[in-house]
Amino acid sequence: MADLSIDFAGIKSPNPFWLASAPPTNTGYQVQRAFEAGWGGAVWKTLGEPVINTSSRFAAVHFGGQRVAGFNNIELITDRPLEVNLKEIYETKKRFPNNTIIASLMVEPKQEKWHEIVKRVEAVGVDGLELNFGCPHGMAERGMGAASGQQPDLVQAQTTWVKEVATTPVIVKLTPNITDITVVARHAVKGGADAISLINTINSLAGVDIHSWNTIPNVGGQGAHGGYCGPAVKPIALSMVAECARDRAVDVPISGIGGISTWQDVVEFMLMGSTGIQVCTAVMHHGFRIVEEMIDGLNNYLDEKGLASVMELIGKSVPKYSNWGDLDLNYKVVARINEDNCINCNKCHIACEDASHQCIDMLTNAEGKAILQVREEDCVGCNLCSIVCPADGAIDMVALDSGAAPMTWNQRNQVISGLNGSYSEVEVG
Amino acid sequence: MSAFDEFDQERQAIDSLLLQGYTVTGIFEDLDGAKVRFIRREPAGEPIELLLLTADARKHVTTLIFGGSKPAAPIETHT
Ligand SMILES: Cc1cc2nc3c(=O)[nH]c(=O)nc-3n(C[C@H](O)[C@H](O)[C@H](O)COP(=O)(O)O)c2cc1C
Repeated sequence: MADLSIDFAGIKSPNPFWLASAPPTNTGYQVQRAFEAGWGGAVWKTLGEPVINTSSRFAAVHFGGQRVAGFNNIELITDRPLEVNLKEIYETKKRFPNNTIIASLMVEPKQEKWHEIVKRVEAVGVDGLELNFGCPHGMAERGMGAASGQQPDLVQAQTTWVKEVATTPVIVKLTPNITDITVVARHAVKGGADAISLINTINSLAGVDIHSWNTIPNVGGQGAHGGYCGPAVKPIALSMVAECARDRAVDVPISGIGGISTWQDVVEFMLMGSTGIQVCTAVMHHGFRIVEEMIDGLNNYLDEKGLASVMELIGKSVPKYSNWGDLDLNYKVVARINEDNCINCNKCHIACEDASHQCIDMLTNAEGKAILQVREEDCVGCNLCSIVCPADGAIDMVALDSGAAPMTWNQRNQVISGLNGSYSEVEVG
Repeated sequence: MSAFDEFDQERQAIDSLLLQGYTVTGIFEDLDGAKVRFIRREPAGEPIELLLLTADARKHVTTLIFGGSKPAAPIETHT
């Protein structure tokens, strides 16, 4: 069995599975049950001046038969006094000394406010701090959360204030509601962050009820924008993690968050540069015990790969992620339809005909059977037919050797400018 | 005409000039495609300009220059 323990910016955890700061980490009762179930760590529900929440605060987007493809909330940070939370953190840490407890913090962007909360929280023995610069609603209207997380200089300043007094590692949690997340990540690092975590929730409105014309969710007929998370946001989160992971100026460990529900998701986030991960929506949907399958799945996967430690996964796919201009234009794949598995639904033909390059023909073979066939020379290898195909194994995307040397867009541009440069010299001469 | 045939016509035009001893001296790309200028020194010939419309032909000509190679043999097709 592989070693699942991680060292995250000096924070030791029995496994990479942490609960994200959210309703599942609201109380000591919940976090202790989560640790019993197998979670390696928990980021406590964000601490700060206790808020008052609205009733009716969650909504979900169900899509194509899948419940909770996306999840939306207008909940704020903890509504319980700091002392109550601290007492429960202390008790939980005492009962589970080997599990990781991170205190998530959010206060006004004032040095003395940060100093005060950091000292009080560290006094009860947390393993680290996570600065919540991400909450997109409610707190942002008060100048906290995403409002300060969208201002790189404010992220840097607040991180610096925390680092002035913190004795445990400081993780800065980033908002995705920004054009380029690496800008904020770099400022967090400049402020002295020991690690970053991402993503918090994405600005969203789950829907509008077309009968009552009310927003979803609504509070007595009135709505406000919320934060989106769950499986739907995973590709966005993964790309933001990847961008930070490949940015040399963001040279701190990453805690990956956003749409993680399975051990496979965890592996993807770790391959893309996360040292550990955090989960919220999947636990809200299915409960703490999903971690059992995550642990088993990850263990088996590592064994199959012959890896002794989960840490060996970290960042292995990062070098495979670059810029569009560095992709090989001469790499060629084409679609091949496997008649044995094809169910002749014609979805590939329709997709290719209406939305791609019109290269899947509907033919009749020698036995009079309707078949679909790809004209490979006209196929651009866009993958659309294999994406819409409902039958497993009916369409393979096959790499062809074009015989041409690899050439990227950037290399092509160099060729052209070199050529034109020397040509004009010839002309001038 | 299929997309491949359009490309193939342009490729043949490029390859035939190269086989006749022409070399590419400039590629100018704009909204209408790529204007590729060919010249031949021995025996000297008038410069020739091809306007390439297809993406594959625009790729082909630069691939040849990038790889420093001769025109490749035609690609086998299934048609
Ligand atoms: C109802 C709800 C409340 C949340 N509260 C907090 C919070 O107090 N502090 C925080 O940093 N993130 C909070 N989050 C964001 C999560 O920690 C996490 O970043 C986000 O949900 C993405 O992960 P997921 O896709 O696994 O849910 C909350 C999310 C939800 C759904």
